[in-house]
Amino acid sequence: MLGRGEISSEELVKSQYERIEEVEPKVDAYLTLDRDNAIARAIEIDKLRAGKEKLPALAGIPVGVKDNISTKGIRTTCASKMLENYVPVFNATVVEKLKENGAVITGKLNMDEFAMGSSTENSYFKKTKNPFNVSCVPGGSSGGSAAAVSACEAVVALGSDTGGSIRQPASLCGVVGLKPTYGSVSRYGLVAFASSLDQIGSFGRCVKDVALLQDVIQGYDKMDATSANRSYASLYENLNSNISGLKIGIPKEYFGEGIKAEVKEAVMRSVNELERQGAIVKEISLPSTGNALSAYYIIACAEASSNLARFDGVKYGYRCENPQSLMDMYERTRSEGFGREVKRRIILGTFVLSSGYFDAYYKKAKLMQQRISAEFDSAYNDVDVIITPTSPFEAFRFGDKIDDPIAMYSADICTVTVNIAGLPAVSIPCGYSDVGLPYGLQIIGRRFDEQTILNTALAHEQCFGEFKSCKL
Amino acid sequence: MIRGYEVVIGLEVHAELNTATKIYCSCKNSFGLEVNTQVCPICMGMPGTLPTLNEKVVEYAIKMGHALNCGINRISKQDRKNYFYPDLPKSYQISQSDIPLCHDGYLDVVMGNDVKRVGIERIHIEEDAGKLLHSDKFDGSLVDFNRCGVPLIEIVSKPDMRSSDEAKAYLETIRSILKYIDISDCKMQEGSIRCDVNVSVHKPGEPFGTRCEMKNVNSFSAVVRGIDYEANRQIDVIEAGGKVEQETRRWNDAKGESETLRSKEDAQDYRYFPEPDLLTIVVPQEKVQYLKDTLPELPNAKIMRYIKDCGLSYSDASMIVDVPEKSKLFDDCMAIGCKSPKIISNWILGEISKLMNDGINLFETPLTPEKLVKIADYISSGKISTASGKIVFDAVMQSDADIDKVIEEKSLAQVSDTNELESLAKKVISENEKSVTDYKNGKTNALGYLVGQCMKASKGKANPGIMKEIVLKLLQ
Amino acid sequence: MDNISIDIKHIAKLARLKIDDSELPRYESEMRDIIGMVNSMPDIEDSLIVDPNNAMELREDKLADDKLSRDVMLSNAPKVVAGCVVVPKVVD
Repeated sequence: MLGRGEISSEELVKSQYERIEEVEPKVDAYLTLDRDNAIARAIEIDKLRAGKEKLPALAGIPVGVKDNISTKGIRTTCASKMLENYVPVFNATVVEKLKENGAVITGKLNMDEFAMGSSTENSYFKKTKNPFNVSCVPGGSSGGSAAAVSACEAVVALGSDTGGSIRQPASLCGVVGLKPTYGSVSRYGLVAFASSLDQIGSFGRCVKDVALLQDVIQGYDKMDATSANRSYASLYENLNSNISGLKIGIPKEYFGEGIKAEVKEAVMRSVNELERQGAIVKEISLPSTGNALSAYYIIACAEASSNLARFDGVKYGYRCENPQSLMDMYERTRSEGFGREVKRRIILGTFVLSSGYFDAYYKKAKLMQQRISAEFDSAYNDVDVIITPTSPFEAFRFGDKIDDPIAMYSADICTVTVNIAGLPAVSIPCGYSDVGLPYGLQIIGRRFDEQTILNTALAHEQCFGEFKSCKL
Repeated sequence: MIRGYEVVIGLEVHAELNTATKIYCSCKNSFGLEVNTQVCPICMGMPGTLPTLNEKVVEYAIKMGHALNCGINRISKQDRKNYFYPDLPKSYQISQSDIPLCHDGYLDVVMGNDVKRVGIERIHIEEDAGKLLHSDKFDGSLVDFNRCGVPLIEIVSKPDMRSSDEAKAYLETIRSILKYIDISDCKMQEGSIRCDVNVSVHKPGEPFGTRCEMKNVNSFSAVVRGIDYEANRQIDVIEAGGKVEQETRRWNDAKGESETLRSKEDAQDYRYFPEPDLLTIVVPQEKVQYLKDTLPELPNAKIMRYIKDCGLSYSDASMIVDVPEKSKLFDDCMAIGCKSPKIISNWILGEISKLMNDGINLFETPLTPEKLVKIADYISSGKISTASGKIVFDAVMQSDADIDKVIEEKSLAQVSDTNELESLAKKVISENEKSVTDYKNGKTNALGYLVGQCMKASKGKANPGIMKEIVLKLLQ
Repeated sequence: MDNISIDIKHIAKLARLKIDDSELPRYESEMRDIIGMVNSMPDIEDSLIVDPNNAMELREDKLADDKLSRDVMLSNAPKVVAGCVVVPKVVD
């Protein structure tokens, strides 16, 4: 419609905000809205269009951004009291890229504090609801991004994924969520949780939208030493739903006890459908899967304990009232500024790095990481993609798991391996529970082979049907 | 040896590198600018920022590694050292732990006629922290982040030094090398080289004692004072029947004593782990080799060469080598075949040093190595006197005068014609009978007087050596 | 490492967190659970690899063109005096 000029960007963006005003009281996806700037931006885009200039890829498209991605002049809280009033003085590289490509940033989206959690219940500010059932969690940590896209409060959104934080909420909210290959999207400006695992990625209601957004944000960035300097072809241009001859691996370890039967059934129905479309399905084994969660928590928490040490009340962010000494300032600032889950992980991370324990924990986890990566590498000698459930269960009720860290951590059981191995993976909806809550399946690809997993996702989408919106 | 104990010393030297930008961001690497004006989101540790490693820092560290005969780890990495302090914005310092860029080298320190070899454990790269400023005006400390991210190399010696003098000579040699390979400004007063000292004592033949680390040693003379104080303190403890505790101490130069900073129990737990924001540092073999091949001759090697090949004394050699410009001039003179290195050395340490102290840049004056060599060789051969040499030198410096012309115009050439000098001497001797008698009665200083009179009679142009020989001959 | 007890107070101090005594048992039991999960990982006899194929590009030693002013850089600081961030008096 935009392209044909049937609607102006200004009208589109205004109608986007009307939708937000309508459903936000029920969903609570946003932490900060940037309405005035967004409309001003849309008007600029309309001027460009009137001038018949070639419009960039995302011209006038409303995009929501997770609140751990640095936006110059717009507060970036990481859903933490620690950064309640923090206003970045620079843009994340992905935000610059959105702007260059004409995107209109609607606002900043809720999340688990510092991206630690699987339900977005760890936000200091509010609880985001699952649009499919507002008494259920949207998943996390990018719960705001998933819910906003699912509730049509943004066309697409950016999230971040350290152990499943894009794919799991995408699964719980019935949308498409892509966690790209580590190194393919710059992390510059993403407030770090676990640097070696974090990756920014995209949410959309369909595979094409996700491909389009990924095209814009991917690419080498000299500001990020871990970003990969290679050529990045357009995923959108090369989308192709013909999967004839595609070899799909089904790892038996991902269909074990911890996974709800209905979820497994939904995933296998989809796999059978892909087989009917010409794919070749083989059972494979990734034997170290059961150790991934442990390795993940050690590595992620170790890095987090160091990454979050900078929040000390000195340069930015929260500082406690009337500190009596430097130590008092540090301890009270950090104890009052961080929520429980964050503190829990900082303590775990500090412990595993502390003198005498490094080899028993951190080193052991890194060795497990090497082994898990090697198992994936060898699996990809035989198959092109690997399909698993995304989440072991559909959306759960608020409060169900929040007091049991182990139960909450198990929500990541199918997704953490992908971060540990640095691979790309997409979650797509693949069915609904008897009460209408979405199930998701995860397609994991070879490093830098986003194209094949998106093609597979598109093939699935074409038979499964496009996004099924929910009534709010 | 102090009071029958052997003192064992190891040094950790931190040197700031003189790159254009900081180690992990493109901010200016500078000193003394207005507080908090040389900072960016990266070196201020703002959330979401990432480091990128400056290639020059890696090159400079490898250069120093070559200079100290180290092995180079072509494949290395960086690690985080975690601790909280207000001048450390990220609350961790990016450093290197188990794989430093350079390892296992040595440094030959020339001390008079001896050469002391000191082992080098490692050289690694890391970032500097900011500065805390204290003011009595109010209750609090101020933080200036300008120095955050200034690149440092840390050079860790083996515990190979046995006296504070050796430690000082080691430090002076390190500083001199840093200047020669031009990787650091080496300004102690600006804190661009800092030093931590490890000291232990033991009776000869017994195993090493418990060591203490001493921080905050901010000048080379403080190193000497600090080591001597600390060694004596440890000996006092042992002599009193006590045990030296492993601890970190702090040198208070004003008081002239060290004090406990942290005991072993309070030792910091830095929780080192690999820096996940940076990948592997891989330096191609060709680059490692290139940095080795392009290394200049190092000051300690130069000193040894000046003593051995040019016949200079240790003190003259080290004074010339201490200033790279002087050493370059000396080397240039030798390169064009100067036959009188000692005269060149005297000139460099005399007249030329004076000019340089006045702020004159030697390379912008008309003085060339060729001219200096010519003057020196004329002096050496007796064509002109040392005093005339100075006149010629001044003329060259002032107006780029032609040396031979100046000698001719000012009739500076010495008279070496023996016939001419002999008739002059005969005249002087006949006019000074008393002195001749004195000389014959054993008053040898009468000879000096007579030669002096002859020189005077020649208006200073007689070659004093030849003159003296002639007078002696005539007196016998 | 099976029956490891974690000195939560000591670890919290290292991390500059203040844990009230009343919260200690909860942290202790949670940490026990997490460490229990983690301890199920098998030992791997191997050494960590520094992968030369995972090399990074180094940055050219060149000054940045743009520079943010001090006011901007300190705009998020809780307390500023004379162009400096202020912290409680540091005694060392």
